Amino acid sequence: MGRAAADSSSSSIDSSNHPSLSCASSVSLPNWSNSTRDLSTDLRLGLSISPNHDFSSTSTPREQRLHWPPIKPHLRSTLAGKADKRRQASLFIKVYMEGIPIGRKLDLLAHEGYDGLISTLGHMFRTTILCPDVNRIHPEKYHVLTYEDKEGDWMMVGDVPWEMFLTTVKRMKIARGDRC
Amino acid sequence: MNLKRNKESPESDELNGVSPFPDEVLERVLSLLKSHKDRSSVSLVCKEWYNAERWSRTHVFIGNCYSVSPEIVARRFPNIRSVTLKGKPRFSDFNLVPMNWGADVRSWLDVFATAYPFLEELRLKRMTITDESLESLGRKFPNFKALSLLSCDGFSTDGLGAIATHCKNLTQLDIQENGIDDLGGGWLSCFPENFTSLEILNFANLNSDVNFEALERLVSRCKSLKVLKVNKNIMLDQLQRLLVHAPRLMELGTGSFLPELTACQYAELESAFNNCKNLHTLSGLWDATTLYLPALYPACTSLTFLNLNDAALQSGELAKLLAHCPLLRRLWVLDTVEDRGLEAVGSSCPLLEELRVFPADPFDQDIVHGVTESGFIAVSYGCPKLHYVLYFCRQMTNAAVATIVQNCPDFTHFRLCIMDPGQPDYLTNEPMDEAFGAVVKTCTKLQRLAVSGLLTDLTFEYIGNYAKNLETLSVAFAGSGDWGMQCVLSGCPKLRKLEIRDCPFGNAALLSGLEKYESMRSLWMSACNVTMNGCRLLAREMPRLNVEVMKDEESEDSQADKVYVYRTVAGPRTDAPPFVLTL
Repeated sequence: MGRAAADSSSSSIDSSNHPSLSCASSVSLPNWSNSTRDLSTDLRLGLSISPNHDFSSTSTPREQRLHWPPIKPHLRSTLAGKADKRRQASLFIKVYMEGIPIGRKLDLLAHEGYDGLISTLGHMFRTTILCPDVNRIHPEKYHVLTYEDKEGDWMMVGDVPWEMFLTTVKRMKIARGDRC
Repeated sequence: MNLKRNKESPESDELNGVSPFPDEVLERVLSLLKSHKDRSSVSLVCKEWYNAERWSRTHVFIGNCYSVSPEIVARRFPNIRSVTLKGKPRFSDFNLVPMNWGADVRSWLDVFATAYPFLEELRLKRMTITDESLESLGRKFPNFKALSLLSCDGFSTDGLGAIATHCKNLTQLDIQENGIDDLGGGWLSCFPENFTSLEILNFANLNSDVNFEALERLVSRCKSLKVLKVNKNIMLDQLQRLLVHAPRLMELGTGSFLPELTACQYAELESAFNNCKNLHTLSGLWDATTLYLPALYPACTSLTFLNLNDAALQSGELAKLLAHCPLLRRLWVLDTVEDRGLEAVGSSCPLLEELRVFPADPFDQDIVHGVTESGFIAVSYGCPKLHYVLYFCRQMTNAAVATIVQNCPDFTHFRLCIMDPGQPDYLTNEPMDEAFGAVVKTCTKLQRLAVSGLLTDLTFEYIGNYAKNLETLSVAFAGSGDWGMQCVLSGCPKLRKLEIRDCPFGNAALLSGLEKYESMRSLWMSACNVTMNGCRLLAREMPRLNVEVMKDEESEDSQADKVYVYRTVAGPRTDAPPFVLTL
């Protein structure tokens, strides 16, 4: 149900795209410019994406370190993504409110999900940000949250799972309710 | 059944020590014996007892599939309904055994098809089983009820589909940690719509999606379902629907704790967990965080086994969860919980008997997190009943281990893995000999030991001198020379399994165990100093042992890189691949 905002120069895309939740195909691990490490955000991938291989430093004979420590392979692959997720990292993106030239910056990783994000933004910009499915009686009195994704399209925030949102958001805009 | 009447009078029977009971009574009595060790003892008493035992045995346990042949088993035991078979050496779990090594169950099933057409249960560990074998299980064994595959390989989800299609009386399908060719989740939809007998279903380690509607229907019509472990593709809202159909579950493996739930859905989930009054085992919990863990709390009051291997919890999250699990006896966690998390274990789980701490990042040398000796010490103070531990850490001291075993002297299984090979006590820089010395001196009931860290001969002297109940020993990157292994082989009377890798033990050590190996199940030595000549000598002297060698690619001709020695009544393997040399 995402729709392109009017001020985007890119073409609007079909609104009924719902990427399947358990997609195993479309993930490219993004390189965050703001953080120093890769974030593995598709947590359901069973890939062995441990950044370090079995072979350790060159000071020890390679054969000695093969298959050590004794961890079963299936355990290894589910563990690989975990520690990455838990490392302290930040993702600061720009947020503008429509009509105000000076924007703010916000660390998305400091939030657990959309609820926290909307609450923080509501405080930051002193307005009410509503989710798109709420009934709109006086659209000019509130705002909705939109974001620009990797493809340059402006989308409504809240449609995709949080983790997927994190992989694709570039910046956000708080737009007036009557514009969407 | 053979009826054989005693021909002699009762008095002379007792004088001769022959049993005065007719065979039917003896068999009836012996049929109550379940433990295979007891049955083995019973069968050695006399010929009558041997016969009565073999007619009354319904379950056979074979710890090494190559120690005996299926024909011998079928000849001796005519009434088997349940078979447990173990195949590859344990180090195959860590990729030390090449593919296609063997342990294929096919030859066993061929014999069972004629000898045990009414076979009900098959439990395999580290065996190879093909889709064809699974299909034949379904087609040729009309009474087949329970299939358990642990660390097996050679099959795909199509084989599971065959089981689901053909086994009308299936009660158990337990698929764990297998090298399975995952071709999709369609296998689950193969259970017929009138199929209702399932009691145990575990597909937690399969990667692909099953059809949720088919799963939901299956769960709702199998009223006796006690164990359900789903994979991580099942979401929280789906889990809630499953729980509503199966409130009498005793063991639950949840799916993923994503995505976000609405308040209403959360309340429904909490209510579903609240209705699960019989839950004693919980696992799964992929991506569980503080957000949704509390929904579980109502179901945790009777929990005795909590497996958090797939949920990288932090210390605070674990502490809050454990506060709701007062009856916990077994706990498996990742080291993301750190020492503080283990302190919570010590204070919340006084009944704890088993703890396993796995490393979240085993291969990253730069990580400074994880658990240390203080976490282990904290658990030992709070959990005096602890008798099974598997602990992966990056630092340990001799003093810490001494304290731990003083607090918990009843260890039966002590498996300590200091992850950097050959690492000394990090405070004193001394070898870790005294740590394991303390373990074997204090824990007289010790059955299983895994050692690590910098170890000299002294560790093995201690083991040989004190570990009189030790049955399984695992050694890696340790020891100073042959003497260490010799101490163990001469000193541990109950030793059954010895597995060694990357240690400086050579032919003298190998050959010192000549007499010993026939009383053991197996010996594994890889990357040690054993040569082909040493192995040939062993094979020549001990014809009832199979001595098998696998050579690495770049090794010298004389080196015996991987040696596997085991006792057998079946002679040398007939199915050995070219890279397994039987000497």
